[in-house]
Amino acid sequence: MMDGLMKDAHLSDEAVAAFADGVLRGHARERAHRHTSACPECSHAVAVQREAVWALRAAPAPALPTALLDRLREVPLTTPIQSVSTALADDGTTMFASFGVTAAAAFVPSPPTHTNRSWHLRPLVITTAAVAAASVLTVGSASAAGQNRVEPAQQVVSRDIGSPVPAP
Amino acid sequence: MTAQTETPEVWVPPTWDEVVREHADRVYRLAYRLSGNRADAEDLTQETFVRVFRSLAEYTPGTFEGWLHRITTNLFLDMVRRRQRIRFDALPEDAGDRLASREAGPEQAYEQMNLDPEIQRALDELPADFRVAVVLCDLEQLSYEEIAATLGIKVGTVRSRIHRGRVLLRQALAHRAPGSRPEDVSNAEEVMRR
Repeated sequence: MMDGLMKDAHLSDEAVAAFADGVLRGHARERAHRHTSACPECSHAVAVQREAVWALRAAPAPALPTALLDRLREVPLTTPIQSVSTALADDGTTMFASFGVTAAAAFVPSPPTHTNRSWHLRPLVITTAAVAAASVLTVGSASAAGQNRVEPAQQVVSRDIGSPVPAP
Repeated sequence: MTAQTETPEVWVPPTWDEVVREHADRVYRLAYRLSGNRADAEDLTQETFVRVFRSLAEYTPGTFEGWLHRITTNLFLDMVRRRQRIRFDALPEDAGDRLASREAGPEQAYEQMNLDPEIQRALDELPADFRVAVVLCDLEQLSYEEIAATLGIKVGTVRSRIHRGRVLLRQALAHRAPGSRPEDVSNAEEVMRR
């Protein structure tokens, strides 16, 4: 009964967008299909949605300015850190050293390498930033920050030298 | 290389440099689409990475990309609200200075030649809330649910903003050939979504 009543009802705006995006499922999708095939108005509305998407996607993406890329690389050098936290990685190494402005000065910015993506073959550069990033990309061990407080263990490995230089 | 693919447990953590190279393009593109100009896009991108660097300790597990989207989008919305409050009055000089201080490098020339100013202008004319929804959906290709989570709004609201935003966009581009579409989009309904 409901079906009979609803058959000729136009699609809601939300349904038009969702149908255009192909994310309607099941009954809603069937109804939208049936309705748009018989209703020029809703069919047009769906077409408008898709045309807007195509126009947007056809526009080329702006390129990242190289000067900005350089500034982003220097964020560890230029960003004072307020919070002091330490965390342990699964293997017991210090993931988060205690660091601040002074420690940030110890950062060795890696030389610009625009060559390839085989970064894992290069000598490991352990800076606080690198280790901090590692904690993000592994298992969110950051949640352990503050609980497992350990003496700061700064390691700075120069990429030029290629061998780890443990902090005193 | 083989060590990484065969034994993931000895995976070498990426450096900050690698994090930047991996994600900077995408963050900048999003910032540019949202803000509509290079100066703001650069500021938003830089601030996003500063936040990332500062708050790594507070990061809760989830996708890194989703985290970046949230930070960038919220910084943009903050910026919009801040400017609405001060009615843009104090901004032009500052914005002009920042623009002028940036060199007109090769990228800028490229950008000016290749960006479709018409589409960016149409985007810029959308109300910020609609623009965010459309950009996240159609350019960043987030799902409705992801957008709802990013913005802290209901999925129904996301759908209706996307719908309205696209209608306005299409109107702004009305003089373009209707139904024109790139050739690689054939089975539209299916390929629209990931």
